[in-house]
Amino acid sequence: VLYDLRNSDLRVRWLATLFLATLGTSYLFGAWMVGLYAGFSTGKVAETYGAGGEMAMPMQMPPDTTMVTERPVSMADMGEEQHHVDRDLLVQDTHVHMPMYAMIAASLSVITLGLAIPRRAGLAIITLLFAAPWLDFAGMWLTKLGSPHFAIVVLAGGWAMALGYVIVAALATYQMWWRKS
Amino acid sequence: MKSLALGAALAALLHITPTVVLVKRQDAVARLLPGAEQFTARELHLSSQDSRRLHDAVGWEPPDGVITFYVGKRQEQVSGALVFMRVDCQHGPLELAIGYDARGTIRGVEVTKATVEMKPWVLEALRAGLMDSYRGNTNAQAPAGAEKVKPRVGAMPGYMAELIDKGVMHASAAYRLFYR
Repeated sequence: VLYDLRNSDLRVRWLATLFLATLGTSYLFGAWMVGLYAGFSTGKVAETYGAGGEMAMPMQMPPDTTMVTERPVSMADMGEEQHHVDRDLLVQDTHVHMPMYAMIAASLSVITLGLAIPRRAGLAIITLLFAAPWLDFAGMWLTKLGSPHFAIVVLAGGWAMALGYVIVAALATYQMWWRKS
Repeated sequence: MKSLALGAALAALLHITPTVVLVKRQDAVARLLPGAEQFTARELHLSSQDSRRLHDAVGWEPPDGVITFYVGKRQEQVSGALVFMRVDCQHGPLELAIGYDARGTIRGVEVTKATVEMKPWVLEALRAGLMDSYRGNTNAQAPAGAEKVKPRVGAMPGYMAELIDKGVMHASAAYRLFYR
């Protein structure tokens, strides 16, 4: 190991614990937010990021002539916000969130480097930590530009992010505070 | 370590603050389509050619090619139309509701959403009477709200007024070109 988290200074272990606790809390709220605005099913994700998210009927390509459709709506329909991420908002989201995700993955990777685990397991965890946000955003873009079926990639990215965090948090907490050598 | 801290600070600075509702959509509908009893959503799925026309007119086109007008009717007579318009900037999105009467004159504009950061700037621009400058304008008239309030507000509220002008301009161009 590059450094040993188990036998590190109390301040380092305290820092890592607080970081993991803070990140865990933000992830819980992140999951809540996903539930509110995008959903956890492929259908909901496709509706949020897909090209046809704001339309009654999904339409991938612009029609040859402008089409007008009319349907009765209630006051509640107009008030109910159907959250949809269009291309411009996705550009902004990607620009804003990717650096933050990189910092989170890097921080969790630094903690991983201090774990007493086989080298290959360390490599696998670090790969997972960075692959998760890539999958998440690649999925969003593919859902937008390719097919709504790519919504599964967004879900896989989200779950991979949670899995990476749980693995690092569980191992680090156990090794720092219980399994001392 | 230094670059790590710098990166984290930069990421935090770039983060867009959450969106807050300034006026509920239902309240905006009630104010901008007063007395309407029935509503229809008129969705315009723009062709590439019409998207280009709109872009040529105001330098904007809906990213997903769809503009939705909500039409209000009273006793089977159209009383007006309303469109929700989003304007993006580096501080996040603003959502406006722009209402037109049956002749196509602007009945009113409401800012329905802004980000936490933008809210005080928007409120300052509104207190300076920004919305009064749109009321009664024709849909062909260039909005000039920012010009009117800028001498009385700070730089950021002035910038918000420019963004609101832009949203009104986009909505009016869509109304003028495609609303039948």
